Amino acid sequence: MIAAPFRQGVRRLFRLALHLRRLGRADARAELESVLDARTEQFIALGMSRAEARIEAVHRLGGSIEQALHDLERSAERREERMRLRDLFDDLRDDIRFAVRGLRRDKVMASFIVVTLALGIGANAAMFGAADRLLLRGPEHIVDPSSVMRIYSTRHGPNGDGTGSSFGWVSYDTFKHATHSFAAVAAYSVNSSGTTFGTGADAVLIPTGAVTYDLFPLLGVRPLLGRFFTAAEDSPDAPQHVVVIGDALWVRAFGRDSAVLGRKIRLGDEDYTVVGVAPHSFTGPQLAPVDAWTPMALRSRGITDRWTKSWNAQWLRLVARVKTGVSREQASADATAAYRSAYAGNDPLFKTTTLDVRPLSFANNGREATEVTIVRWLVGVTVVVLLIACSNVANLLLARAVRRRREIAVRIALGAGRGRLTRLLLTESLLLAALATFAGLAVAWATSILLRRVLIPGIDWPSAPIDPRVLGVSLAIAMAVGLLTGLAPALRASSPDLTASLKAGARDGGGQTSRLRGALMISQAALSLVLLTGAGLFVRSLMRVRAIDLGFEPDRVLVVGVRYPAAARLSDPRAAGEVARRRSVFAEAVRRARQLPAVEDASLSVGLPFESSFGQELRIPGWDSIPEFKAPGPHISAVAPNYFETLGTRLLEGRTFTAADRDGSEPVAIVSRAMARTFWHRDHVLGECLYWSTSKDSLTTCSRIVGVVADAHAWGIKELPAMNYYVPLGQERGMGGTVLLVRPKPGREVEATRMVRSLVLSIDPSISFVNTATMQQSIDPQVRPWRLGAAVFTLMGVLALVVAAVGLYSVMSYLVAQRTREIGVRLALGAQARSIVFLVLRNSVSMAAVGVAIGLVIVLWAGRFIAPLLFDTSPRDMGVLLGGAATLLAVSVLASAVPALRAKRVNPIEALRSD
Amino acid sequence: MPLLKGTLDILVLKTLSWGPMHAFEIISWLEARSGGRLAVADAAFVQCVHRMEERGLVTAQWGTTKNDRQARYYRLTAAGRAHLGTEGRALSEHVDAIATVLAAKNAGR
Repeated sequence: MIAAPFRQGVRRLFRLALHLRRLGRADARAELESVLDARTEQFIALGMSRAEARIEAVHRLGGSIEQALHDLERSAERREERMRLRDLFDDLRDDIRFAVRGLRRDKVMASFIVVTLALGIGANAAMFGAADRLLLRGPEHIVDPSSVMRIYSTRHGPNGDGTGSSFGWVSYDTFKHATHSFAAVAAYSVNSSGTTFGTGADAVLIPTGAVTYDLFPLLGVRPLLGRFFTAAEDSPDAPQHVVVIGDALWVRAFGRDSAVLGRKIRLGDEDYTVVGVAPHSFTGPQLAPVDAWTPMALRSRGITDRWTKSWNAQWLRLVARVKTGVSREQASADATAAYRSAYAGNDPLFKTTTLDVRPLSFANNGREATEVTIVRWLVGVTVVVLLIACSNVANLLLARAVRRRREIAVRIALGAGRGRLTRLLLTESLLLAALATFAGLAVAWATSILLRRVLIPGIDWPSAPIDPRVLGVSLAIAMAVGLLTGLAPALRASSPDLTASLKAGARDGGGQTSRLRGALMISQAALSLVLLTGAGLFVRSLMRVRAIDLGFEPDRVLVVGVRYPAAARLSDPRAAGEVARRRSVFAEAVRRARQLPAVEDASLSVGLPFESSFGQELRIPGWDSIPEFKAPGPHISAVAPNYFETLGTRLLEGRTFTAADRDGSEPVAIVSRAMARTFWHRDHVLGECLYWSTSKDSLTTCSRIVGVVADAHAWGIKELPAMNYYVPLGQERGMGGTVLLVRPKPGREVEATRMVRSLVLSIDPSISFVNTATMQQSIDPQVRPWRLGAAVFTLMGVLALVVAAVGLYSVMSYLVAQRTREIGVRLALGAQARSIVFLVLRNSVSMAAVGVAIGLVIVLWAGRFIAPLLFDTSPRDMGVLLGGAATLLAVSVLASAVPALRAKRVNPIEALRSD
Repeated sequence: MPLLKGTLDILVLKTLSWGPMHAFEIISWLEARSGGRLAVADAAFVQCVHRMEERGLVTAQWGTTKNDRQARYYRLTAAGRAHLGTEGRALSEHVDAIATVLAAKNAGR
C-alpha cells in the first residue's frame, strides 16, 4: 500500500528504542474521554439534549469507551510484536553481514575451514546414505520391514554346526500351514548369474527371481502396472508361464509402454506372458537388482521330479512375516517344532535341525551381510574423520577468537551484550558450516557414486545419491558442527577480562585457551594415528591376500561360456548327435582361437576353479576308502591340451595332455601335488594308478598318472589348495558344462574378448548367448573386504593426516606470530637461531607424541574388534604401528618446520618496536 | 467507503502540518475540510495518532485546551514531515489516477 515502503526503516533509521513505553491505560482512557467530551459538547452546541449528545458521541467514537480502549491496546501490542520480529531479522542480517565481513578478512582460514568441514560432512552424508539403505531402511517397498524375517536352519552334524538358508518345498509348505507364529510365509530364489532375455545377437543376461505367489502380499508391495501372479498360476500341478517384469527392464526394453501387459517375452528358452510391472527398485527381500519375477512352481519343475516331496533338494529361500506380539524366540521354536514333526524320514540331520528367524539384513550364510559390516566400519571411520575435522576447526576458531580479543573487548566496552556477542560468533561458525554443507553435498555426491560403483556394487539403489533424508542428515550434522566448533570460542571470547585484554592487545595467548587448543591437537593426532594404523593393517592384509599363490593366474585367463537354447534335452539319447556337434564346435573354437593374433593360448575344460567342481567315485591302491581331508577335494576336471599353459599352472613332473589323449586312447591322469602327497605320501607318483568312475561298482579302469602339477585353490582364497586330478577331455563321464579358456596376450584383453565372442558365434549361430569373464572376476568378491578396507582406511587416513597437518601448521604459525615479541627478546639477549627453531619444534612434536601415545593405546585396545576382518595380519603388527607413529611424527615436524623457520628469521628490533 | 490505513495517516499528518493539535482538534479539522464525508470512527483517529507516535512520525505532550481541559497535543517530527512529503505526493497521484479513470466519458477506442 501507499505507506508500506517507508514504515520499516524509520524507527531503526533514527535508532528509536524498541521498548517505547506505551501510553498508560489511564492516559489512553483520559484521552478517549476528552475526545468523547469534546464531541458531546459539539452536539449539545448543535442543539441536542445532553443525554442524546452523549449517546451520539459514543456512537461516533465507534462503540463503548471500553471497546475503543481494548482496540487501542490490541493494535499497540500487534505493532510491538511485529517490530520485535523485524528487529530479530535485522539483527540476524547484521550478524551474517558481520560474519561475512570477518571471514573475508581471513580468507585463507575461512576457505581452509570450509574445505575441512566439507570433506567431513560430505563423507558422513554419503555414508549415511549407504547406512540408511543397508542398516535402517532395508529393501524398498516392504511394508513394516522389521516384522519380515528370513528363516534359517542350523544342522548339527558330526563336523560341527552349519547354518544355511536353503529349503525345499516341503519346508515352505510346512511353515505355511503348520505354524501359528507367522502371518505369512513365502519363498523366493534369485538367479544372480542371470537368465537370457531375448533371442539371437540381442540376447542379454538379466537377473531374475522365482517367487511364490504369496511373496508380494507378504511384503505388502503393489504392482506399478497390471498385477502379480495368482495362486493358480503358481500351482505345483499346472504352473503358468507368466512374468512380472521389474520397472528397470520395463524402462530399458519397453520404453515404459503400458501395452507390455499381455505381451510374450523370451526368458531362457521359454516364452512368458507379462502380467505386471513391479514398482521402481523393487528387489524382493534382498538388495540385489532383479529384472523379472516368475512363478516358483514353474522354476521348481527342473529341480527333481519329486520336488514337492523331497527333503534333500533345497533351492528355496524363505521369508516370513512374524505376527505382532510374537518374539523371535517364539517364532523360531514354533518353526523348529513344525519342521521336525513334518520330517518322517530317518536322517538324524533333519530330525535335529534347529530353525530360527533373523532380520532381512542377514546374508544366506546366516551372518550379517558383508556389505552391512562394511557399512558399519565406514560409518565409524567417517565419524572419526568428522571429529578430526571438527576439532581442527574449533582450534582454528579458538586461535581466531584469541586474535580478536581486543576487538571483542572493544565491542563489550562499547556496550554490546554478552548474549549478542556469543550469537555473533556462533553465527560465524554456523555460516562456515552452511558454506561447508554446500561444498559437502558435492563431496557427498562424488563419494556416494564411488561407494555405489566401486565399494558396494550389486545393490539396487532406489534413489539418487542425495535424497531428502541424506540432505536432512547433512543439515543436522552441519548444525551440530557449527554449534560444536563455535560454542567454545564464542563462550571464551565473550567473557574476557576486559581491561587486561584492552591493554594486552593481540599479544597474549591466554593459558586456558592454549591448554584447550593443545588438547584438541593431541586428540587429532591420536585419531589420525588410529586411521593410519587401520589403513596399514588393511593394506598389509590386502598385500597378503594378493600374494596368495592360487596355482593359476586368474587375471590372465578369460572364461568363455556359451548357452544353447534348451530345445534339445541333452539327457535325451536322441540328442547324441547334438552332443557330438557341440563337442566339435568347441574343438573348432579352441583351434581358431589359438590362431587369433591377440591370443597367447587357449584350451577347454569341464570343471574349473571358482567356476565348477566335480567329484567322482575314486579308488586309489593302498586306501580302503577316501576319507574326508582338511583340504577340499579330490576334484576331477576334464581338460584339453594346453590347459595348464593357458591357466599358468606349473607342471612339476611328467607331461601334460596332448591331442593324442582323447576318448578311446589309454586312460591317463595328471594329479596335483597335494593329491600326490596325501595319497602316496611323496612327490614322484608318475606311473601310479588311480581308478575313477561314476559308480562304485565300476572302479576297474586304471588311469595311469603321467604328470604332476602345482596345487590350485578350488573355491576359496582362504582355504587350503584343493586335491585335484585331471583327465583328458573326452575321457570324462557324467560331467558336463564345457568352457573355453583363453589366455590373451598381455594388454590385448579387450581385443581378445571381442574377437573370441564373434568367433564363437560365427562357428555356431545357434548359440543363444556367449558369456565372457576373467577368472579374476569370480575371485574378486572374496578379495573385496580387504580391498574395501584398504581403500577406505587409506583414503580416510590420508585425509585425516592432511587435515591434522594443516591444522598443526596453522596453529603453530599462529603461535609463532603470537610469540614474535618473546622470540625477539630471546634473540636480542643472544639466543641462537637454532634454539629458537628447536623451541617451536619441541612444542608441536611433543603434542604429536602425546597424541601418538594415546592413539597407540586406542589401537591396541580396538585391535580385537578389527582382528576378524584382517587376513594373516595381527592387529598389533609392529611394523604397521611403528610406521603409523613415525609417519605422524614426521608429518608433525614437517608441518611445524615452516613456522619454526619463520620464527628464526624474526627481526628482534622490529619485534620489540611493534605493538 | 472505509479509508485505507495509510491514507488516514497522511490525512492526519497533513492536518498536523498546520501546527500541534489534540485528537479532537484533528478530527474536527478533518471533518470541516472534508465536509464531514470521512466515515471514520473517532477511536480510529486516536489509534492512528498512537501508531504514528510509536513510529516516530509524531510526538505527543499533555497540554491544556482552550476550555481548560487536559488533552494530548500532537506535533509532527522531522520524520513525519518527510513521510508526509513523499507519501502525500504518492497518494495524490494515486487519487488523481483513480479520479481520471472514473471521470472517463467514453471507452476511448
